[in-house]
Amino acid sequence: MSTIPEYYKIVEEVFEKYKDKEFLFVGRHTQRWDSIEKIKGRALFTADFTRLYSNLVYVHSVRTKYAHARIKSIDVSEASKYPGVLRVITAKDIPGINDVGYVIPDQPLIADRKVRYIGDIVALVVAENPLVAREAGELISVEYEPLPVITNPLDVVDLMTLKEKPHTLVHDERGSDILVHYKIRRGDIEKAMREADVKVEGVYKTPFQEHAYMEPEASIAIPEPDGSVTVIASTQCPFDVRKAVAKVLGLTLNKVRIVVPAVGGGFGGKEDVANEVAAKAALAAVLTGRPALAVHTREESIIGHSKRHPMIAWYRHAAKKDGTLVAVEANVVMDGGAYASLGPFVPWRATVHATGPYKVQSARVDVVRVYTNNVYAGAFRGFGNPQVIFAVERQMDLLAEELGMDPVELRLKNILRVGDETVHGQKLTEEHGVGLEEAVMKAVEASNWFELRRRYSEITGPVRKGIGIALFYHGNSIGVEGADYSSVTLIINRDGSVSIRTGLTEFGQGSTWGLALIAAEILGVPPSYFKIENPDTSATPDAGPTVASRATVMGGAATVVAAYKLRKRLNEVASHILGCDPDDVVIRAPDVYCSSDPSRRTRWADVVEQSFWLGVPLQEFGYYRAPRALWDEETGQGAPYITYTFGAIVADVDVDIETGLVKVNKIFTAYDIGKVINRMGAELNAEGGAIQALGYALMEEIIHDKEGRVSNPNLSTYYVPTIKDVPEIIPLWVEAKYRKGPLGAKGFGEPSFNAVAAAIANAVAHAIRANVTELPITPERVYMLLKNKQKT
Amino acid sequence: MSEVGASRASWNTYRDVEVSFKVNGKEVRVRVKPYERLLDVLRNKLGLLSVKEGCGRGECGSCVVIMNGKLIPTCLTLAVRAEGSEILTLEGIAPEGKLHAIQKALLDTYSMQCGFCFPGVIMASKYLLDKNPDPTEDEIRDALDGNICRCGSYLRFIKAVKLASKYIKEGKVFFDESEVLR
Repeated sequence: MSTIPEYYKIVEEVFEKYKDKEFLFVGRHTQRWDSIEKIKGRALFTADFTRLYSNLVYVHSVRTKYAHARIKSIDVSEASKYPGVLRVITAKDIPGINDVGYVIPDQPLIADRKVRYIGDIVALVVAENPLVAREAGELISVEYEPLPVITNPLDVVDLMTLKEKPHTLVHDERGSDILVHYKIRRGDIEKAMREADVKVEGVYKTPFQEHAYMEPEASIAIPEPDGSVTVIASTQCPFDVRKAVAKVLGLTLNKVRIVVPAVGGGFGGKEDVANEVAAKAALAAVLTGRPALAVHTREESIIGHSKRHPMIAWYRHAAKKDGTLVAVEANVVMDGGAYASLGPFVPWRATVHATGPYKVQSARVDVVRVYTNNVYAGAFRGFGNPQVIFAVERQMDLLAEELGMDPVELRLKNILRVGDETVHGQKLTEEHGVGLEEAVMKAVEASNWFELRRRYSEITGPVRKGIGIALFYHGNSIGVEGADYSSVTLIINRDGSVSIRTGLTEFGQGSTWGLALIAAEILGVPPSYFKIENPDTSATPDAGPTVASRATVMGGAATVVAAYKLRKRLNEVASHILGCDPDDVVIRAPDVYCSSDPSRRTRWADVVEQSFWLGVPLQEFGYYRAPRALWDEETGQGAPYITYTFGAIVADVDVDIETGLVKVNKIFTAYDIGKVINRMGAELNAEGGAIQALGYALMEEIIHDKEGRVSNPNLSTYYVPTIKDVPEIIPLWVEAKYRKGPLGAKGFGEPSFNAVAAAIANAVAHAIRANVTELPITPERVYMLLKNKQKT
Repeated sequence: MSEVGASRASWNTYRDVEVSFKVNGKEVRVRVKPYERLLDVLRNKLGLLSVKEGCGRGECGSCVVIMNGKLIPTCLTLAVRAEGSEILTLEGIAPEGKLHAIQKALLDTYSMQCGFCFPGVIMASKYLLDKNPDPTEDEIRDALDGNICRCGSYLRFIKAVKLASKYIKEGKVFFDESEVLR
């Protein structure tokens, strides 16, 4: 196993070959293969398949009345007899294992012993009419023994000692409600703190955020004649859904087929809840022998799927007089709600990034994630990083103020550049692509930072102006979380058109189209020849989950491998036809010719046809696995990620100090994502990520009452930005290429969210000259900040 | 335990009602339950799947159609209310093989992300341009304020509506689909 895999060599060889070339398709604006079907409203999302099944049944989830209680008994006899009800399903009816936990088995599909949050399901009712199913659900009688409800994570753990407090355990079977505790230990923190010239500290809070993808969760399960089951599912991770459904039904993996049609948004939210929804539909289908639809209402979606982890963090930063950062200390508590979900991983990413994209000589970081009776927290674009960025970037501004330095000046003094070590001791080299400084300079220049920072500081009167900056880095793909691989199959059809098969899913982000652009570039075939097949666990290769901004980097690398091998074979066939050297062959479909003598030419279709008859395979499988990441559990030292995406955000805001209303005028987003592959996708992520983060900064917050009920479970009470909230967004690009990535690309889905809220918070703090420590910055919070300022 | 379900008339007990209306220029007659939503009838009985359910409460704009010249959320409209009306959905805004100027403009501005909100956005834009062929940016923002796009293509929508307005003023209402994909 000591030999270097062939795929590493191919990806690096292709990078070298293309690094100075002008691209035909990569990095350009192109129309996606699914443009017409979507613009015509013909694209089929999961619930749209309802019409195909005339004998479809509906699955209604009966949810708990208490957020924390023991279940003493369940009586479904009345509901079972209700006219129109086909079946009532409780935990004891599950043929396999009653669990849909994504990483660890802590989450029953149907609660049996106890309920832990307000979205827990106690029974499923199956009926032909969804309204009848709901009506019958009201007849189910559950005897509960209510338990104390924990909604405040600081009732579970103490922020300063991180010791668990005595409380009624949410997961009594585990013996502790602390799920994970991650650490960074670097340098002599006490000495560094003692010797520092200035210190700043603060406590920062961020809220639960709802994904609010426009398509609510849905699955349709179809029982097959051989005892297997097919599930059409709205998911980011078809192979994970397959595993979950197989587990619940007690089937082998090859007896569960997951097909993913068009998906209406995901943002990380359609990772684990898709397991639950698919399993509900599959269970009903198997037990009734009929196709079954499980679809969530918006309210069920909001109370019943994962959220962004709220954070409470204490930070202390120390620096020398000249602004050199010498030490960072942090205690971070993340509220995980009732179940683990992605909770073993989110706090790890928060830990890795807990000191920001800066050189930090000494650090002590402790991050814990606790169980409560709130809606469970999981993956959401950014995955733990936006929370710590908010704290770190507020701290950097406080430090700048303390030192009498400009915030940009302080940051430039400390940012990571080529040759520097991260806080984990990972040395950043040219190979990683480190474009943070360039990103800062671009954002500063475009926003007219120095001039406006000075001018806004002098404004008085009812409407104040502020400008703020925030920086970030973001480890690419999943690091040490698991086996980091991806795969694609490229198929050239007899007519020269190309099919891409991969288990990576498209849910709006556009990354699978990036794979087509990479293949198009290497094969020399225009993107319009391509079609990307829907993920189907019985047909497309397992490409790992579509998460962690990994589709372009990991899937792209696998695509490079497949396209490279195909191209090599095709060049040989063309060389045979044209009579020039294989390296001399130019493919620019529909034409193929010799570079040295363009008059010697043939057609792409002919090369394909010749290959077929010569027995040259026109299909190729590409696989890529990332180099192993390193992490020491006790010290947080190692090389946690293969590379990093960098960025600098500048926000320009107005704050009305009479109403407390914040209006964002402009957001400058400067990103180093390595080589831009899908230009349209990159721009749309930059804009869309900024808008979602604007919501996080100013208005979005899931609120639980003291009984653990969600107070704002719909879109008229949970506010997300509308077209009226959107400022001018100016995207700026830096391309510090990652040499081991596909054509030098790095990931971008999550980074587009990361630092925008922090930049807005810093701008608001600048405008009102008060310390913003909590998101979202609602008018009430602005009012309180101003009021408290008057007092002091 | 709840007695609510037992004490009121069940959904099972309602009889079908016949409703006739015109949708995308075609006369239709359907049997519906009196409690059925127009959204479900358009989708499940008439196969007009562009009409999307995002919230079921009139809060997201994914299911809006033009009914008798008004933009309405079909999730809050009972199907029986459609009696005698004229309804336009996304399926009806351009002939087969053609794109409406708004659709063309949305592609020209590279606005596509997940696409789930698009049918509603296109119908709201059509409603705006029918009334106001040359809207300002503020008027566009007002008109599309009821359509949530969580992927965040909003800035592209503003550009696209302006571009569509230009196309229509130039007399270019429909485009061949093949003009878009090159």
